[in-house]
Amino acid sequence: MNLKHIFAFIFAASVFMMSSCIKDEPLNAECDILSVILPGDVLNRQPVIGNNKITLIVRNNVSLLQPLAPEFTLTPGATIEPPSGTPLNFLMPQTYTVTSQDGQWHKTYTVEVQKNNSINLAYDFDNVRQIPALAGMCSYDEFYEIGPGGKESMVWASANSAYALSLQASTPSTFPTYQADGGINGKCAVLTTRSTGSWGARLKKPIAAGNLFIGTFDSSAAVSQPLKATHFGTPFFNEPVSFSGYYKYKPGETYCETDKDGNFLPVPGKTDLFNLYIVLYETTPELQWLDGTNVLDRDNPHIIGSAEIPDRHASDEWVEFSVPFILWPGKTIDPEKLKDGMYNVAVVMSSSQDGDYFSGAIGSTLQVDKLLITCKTQN
Amino acid sequence: MKTTIYRIVAIAALMLASIAGVSAQRNGIHEKITRLGFEFEVNAGTSLGGATPLPLPAEIRHIDSYSPDLDLQLGLLVTKWLGNERKWGVAVGARLETRGMKTRATVKNYGMEILDNGKKLSGRWTGKVQTKYHSQQLVIPITAVYRINRRLKANLGPYLAFAFSNDFDGYVSDGYLREGDPTGDKYVFEDDSRASYDFGDELRHFQWGMRGGVSWAAYKHLVVNADLTWGCNNIFKSSFKTVNFSLYPIYLNIGFGYIF
Repeated sequence: MNLKHIFAFIFAASVFMMSSCIKDEPLNAECDILSVILPGDVLNRQPVIGNNKITLIVRNNVSLLQPLAPEFTLTPGATIEPPSGTPLNFLMPQTYTVTSQDGQWHKTYTVEVQKNNSINLAYDFDNVRQIPALAGMCSYDEFYEIGPGGKESMVWASANSAYALSLQASTPSTFPTYQADGGINGKCAVLTTRSTGSWGARLKKPIAAGNLFIGTFDSSAAVSQPLKATHFGTPFFNEPVSFSGYYKYKPGETYCETDKDGNFLPVPGKTDLFNLYIVLYETTPELQWLDGTNVLDRDNPHIIGSAEIPDRHASDEWVEFSVPFILWPGKTIDPEKLKDGMYNVAVVMSSSQDGDYFSGAIGSTLQVDKLLITCKTQN
Repeated sequence: MKTTIYRIVAIAALMLASIAGVSAQRNGIHEKITRLGFEFEVNAGTSLGGATPLPLPAEIRHIDSYSPDLDLQLGLLVTKWLGNERKWGVAVGARLETRGMKTRATVKNYGMEILDNGKKLSGRWTGKVQTKYHSQQLVIPITAVYRINRRLKANLGPYLAFAFSNDFDGYVSDGYLREGDPTGDKYVFEDDSRASYDFGDELRHFQWGMRGGVSWAAYKHLVVNADLTWGCNNIFKSSFKTVNFSLYPIYLNIGFGYIF
């Protein structure tokens, strides 16, 4: 028996000893709603499942006066109250509490059913609430809109929640997307491209462009598949004609690109530019939303049309713009599909147009106010 | 840092060689030293082991891989035999040791923190954790020695260790983080997304523990040594809370010694 054999034996024995020390698997501590179904063919979109909120968009012919009985799939071993399949009235949002398998953790979900939900067409960015993150160490602004009835009608999406992870932010105005004074009339929305610090750089995501859009932000994809984290769009029942509003833009000093190794390298002579547009597209069971991989892709057959600003430029003063909504070649709006809620609209803005590929200039700042989607009046 | 240890090893080897040469020439002095009950040994060896939590916390679901570095040890040992029978003795040594390991484990709902920019991201990690540990130390063993027979000696006692170079780093990957607690926002890390960490500055410089083993004389001057060292304090400073369990260095050492 030579030394090599002795070592092999000791190694095998020690690995065996370590393996045999593995304890029984602890019970699950998570309490997620993983999926939800509504019996019958009543959904018009896939359910939107957030960490604490679920939105169910139903077909126009579904009566909300009748109770609905959503059925949930949970983290294995978790329980839900009221139980899955309980018929409830969804004229108002309902609250469910999920308890983890180990009984230690609880999470409350608000489940909201939307039908024929008409979003606002004018946006003043006057309403924000502050969302705490990292156990209260920082907080960011979340923009929302008030509908004609005085009720909250829509929440704007942004990547602020994921930026908290970079540990670079504290107050709302240190996040990429926030509210500020100095709007056309009251407050305005401000989007700034920011550094994500050393730990963002290690993840090969050295910057975060300010972004604000109609849709939902899927934070779970933010780290590994950021282009897929931005789910653009919400059901829309009007035919857009034009898109107007005001902007100010100041590009950051040095435009840089992120190479495949995560290095953030200056590109001499290049100046940053913002994005601000609306896009209308048709949803199918396969394509429920557009994301960063395909949102203005000229080859995307789902896109019906868009309104984009052709001559956007830097300015210290407010620039008023009004651009027509243009149907893409060969596309029309089908009135039946429009009525059935098959179309989605998204308003999308970013302080760096290539920010989704982590290219842009730190400090680039876009201010936006008084956006308006003008639509054809319905007969 | 690697070059430093090799340089130290080389210098130590030269010194030992010259001592050996000198002592060989001065047999008279050697005899006197032996009569006084002293015994000098130079030794070299390697070790196998790692820093491990004891017992393994339930959050560690699987050890995917464990690979120890080829650790080097080089040392001097002085034994003073007591009484006329020379059955018992006391030994004091000085050893230069490198210790290192690489592990890859799968964890579930494992408490973790990332500190940066004066802020803290804490949460629960489920997925892979890869860790690299490397330390260079000066170790002083103080042991009681018992001579079992002509060839075999047993020893047991404490040791003190001073680490002059410490690395402890790694990354998490292929899993997800729940921010704050298990109900927090979920962030998936997959493909080449990794969150790296470096806790080298959080390692203790002073460690102590127990050491016990045997020494077998294969020839008149050549001994084979085997012993187990068991660290008694956490390799991390007590102020360090990110790794929420203690890691104890446990090593099996095997080597050769030359007795003058």
